[in-house]
Amino acid sequence: MLNYLIKRILWMIPMLIGISLISFFIMHLAPGDITSNESAFNPKASEESRQKLRELYNLDKPIIVQYGLWLKRIVQLDFGSSFASHQRPVLWEKKDENGNIKPGLIQKALPITLLINLLTILLIFSISILLGTIAAIKKNKIPDRMITLFVFIGFAIPGFWLALILMYSLGVVNQVLPISGLHSIGYEQMSKLAQILDLLKHLALPVFISCLSGLAGISLYVRNGMIEILNQDFIKTARAKGLYEKKVIFVHTLKNALLPLITILGLSIPGLIGGSVIAESIFAIPGMGKLFYDAVLMRDFPVVMGILTIGSILTLLGNLIADLAYAWADPRIRRGLAK
Amino acid sequence: MRKIIKNPMSLAGLIIISIIGILAIFAGYLSPFDPNYININAILLSPNGTHWMGTDALGRDVFSRMLHGAQISLLVGIVAVGISTIIGIILGSVAGYYRGIVDTIIMRLVDVMLSIPSFFLILAVIAFLTPSIWNIMIVIGLTSWMGVTRLVRAEFLSLKERDFVLAAQTLGASDLRIILTHLLPNSLGPIIVSTVLGVASAVLVESGLSFLGLGVQAPTASWGNILTDGKEYIQFAWWLSLFPGLAILITVLGYNLLGEGLRDNFDQNT
Repeated sequence: MLNYLIKRILWMIPMLIGISLISFFIMHLAPGDITSNESAFNPKASEESRQKLRELYNLDKPIIVQYGLWLKRIVQLDFGSSFASHQRPVLWEKKDENGNIKPGLIQKALPITLLINLLTILLIFSISILLGTIAAIKKNKIPDRMITLFVFIGFAIPGFWLALILMYSLGVVNQVLPISGLHSIGYEQMSKLAQILDLLKHLALPVFISCLSGLAGISLYVRNGMIEILNQDFIKTARAKGLYEKKVIFVHTLKNALLPLITILGLSIPGLIGGSVIAESIFAIPGMGKLFYDAVLMRDFPVVMGILTIGSILTLLGNLIADLAYAWADPRIRRGLAK
Repeated sequence: MRKIIKNPMSLAGLIIISIIGILAIFAGYLSPFDPNYININAILLSPNGTHWMGTDALGRDVFSRMLHGAQISLLVGIVAVGISTIIGIILGSVAGYYRGIVDTIIMRLVDVMLSIPSFFLILAVIAFLTPSIWNIMIVIGLTSWMGVTRLVRAEFLSLKERDFVLAAQTLGASDLRIILTHLLPNSLGPIIVSTVLGVASAVLVESGLSFLGLGVQAPTASWGNILTDGKEYIQFAWWLSLFPGLAILITVLGYNLLGEGLRDNFDQNT
C-alpha cells in the first residue's frame, strides 16, 4: 500500500509540470505580449498595471527563462497580487507596508466552493444511487422509463436557464428562497443554528443547479452497473440458494455496483469545479467560480493564472484520494497491493 | 441508416436534429424580419400574429433572432467538434498504432488536459484572446479532444492484434494505408457516437459562454446571448427567457438521443 501511495504521489510531479506548461502556453496566446495589443485597447489596463505585468512574468527575458521563473514561483505557491484596486494577494493573506493584513482571494473563496461541491457530491450520490437502483429493479417498466426520461432532460437542460427560472419562480414570485449571496442581512445577530439554516437556504438553489447533470449521469451509471451485475452468475447463485430478494439487491448487487462510483467521483471533480463558474456567478456567491469569472472579465491575469493552477492541483488531489479510496475499498486490489 | 430509423431513440433524435438543422440552414429565407432590425415602436411585444415569439427590448423580432441564433449555435457546435475529432483521430491513431514513447507522451498530455477543469481552461484562453465566434470554436475544439483520442487509441489497440491487420502488414501495406483503410473504418462506430454526443456538449458550452457574455458577441444573435439580454426583463417578458432555453434543451436532447441510440446499435453489432 505504501509503495502504491509513493508511486501515485510521484506520478503527480510530471502532471504538475504539464499543467504549468499549458498554463504558461495560454499566457502567451495573446497576440504580441500580454501587455500590448489587447490590453492597450483595454482602458481597464493602466500603464502602471502593464508595467507590473511585465515585471511579474519577466516578459523582457528569453522565453525559457520566463518559464523557469514562472515555474519557480508556482512551486513556492506565489501567484502575486490582483490587478484590481484592492491589490489583494491571489492565494494567501499578506501584510502590506502599513502592517494591515490583506486576506488572499483564493483563501477566502475556496472554502465556499469546496462546501458547495461537497454538498453537491453528497446529494448526487444519495439521490442517484436511489434512482439507479429503482430503475434497475424495475427495468423497462414505468419507473425505469420515467427515470431515463429524467436522465435525458437532466443532461440536456442548460443549468443557467434552469437557474434563471428557479430564481424567478422561487425567489421573486414566491420568495421561498433567497436568490443571491451567502447570508441574509442581520446574519451576525443570528444564533448559531439560525446561521447554518440561513446559509443552507442560500446554498439550496446553487447546489441543486450544480447537481443536475452529475445526477443524471451517475443515475444512468448505477442503473447500467446494477443491471449488468444482476445478470452475473453469483447473483443467480445467491437467488438459487434462497436469499431474500432484498438481500440480493442491497448486499450482493449494490455493493459491487457502487465500487466504480469512487472512480467516477474522482473524474467528476474538474467538471464540478469548472461548473461552479455559472452557478456562482448567477447566484452571486463569492466562491472560486465567481472570482474566476470576474477576473476574466477584468483581465486580471494573476488571478486567472492562480485559479487555473490551484483548480488543477485540486483535481489532481481529488483523483489521488479517489484512487486511494478505490484501492482501499476493493479487496481484490487491496490484497494485491499488500503482497 | 435503417437501423437508425428502427431504434425509437435515434429516430426521435434524428427528427429533432433535422428540423432544427433545416430551420438553421434556411434562417435567411424563413425569418420574417431582419434579426438585427431595431424598431423602437415595437419594444417588448408579447408573442402575436406578426411577431411569433414577441420582440425584445430593442424591438427586434425574437423569432428571427432565434433562427439566426440556431445557425450560430449549430455552426459553433459542429465546427468545434470537427476540430476536436480530427485532433483526436490523429493523436489516437498515432498513439495506438505506434505505441512506445509517442504513446506515453500523448497519453500523459491527455491526462494533463483532463486534470485542468475544462470550463476554467476555456475561460482562461478567452481572457487572453478576444471573444469572437471563430475563437470560441477553436477554443472549444482544442479543449475537448481527449475523449476521442482515448477512444481511437483503445480501438486501435484491440484491432491491431487481429489477423487482417497482420495480413495487410505481411503484404507490405504502408502504415498510413493500414491506419486509413483498415483500422479507422473499423473504429468508425464509437467515433461517430462520440462526435454526435460532442456536438451536444459543445452547444451547451457555447450557450453557457454566450450567456456569461464571453461567447458570441452582440449584435450577432446566439441562443445564449438572447437569454442574457432577456434575463433583465424576465418579470414582464417571459418569452425572452423561455424560447432560447427551450431551443437549447431540445437541440441538446436531440443530439444526445441520436448519440445514445447509435451507441445501442453499435453495441448490438459487436
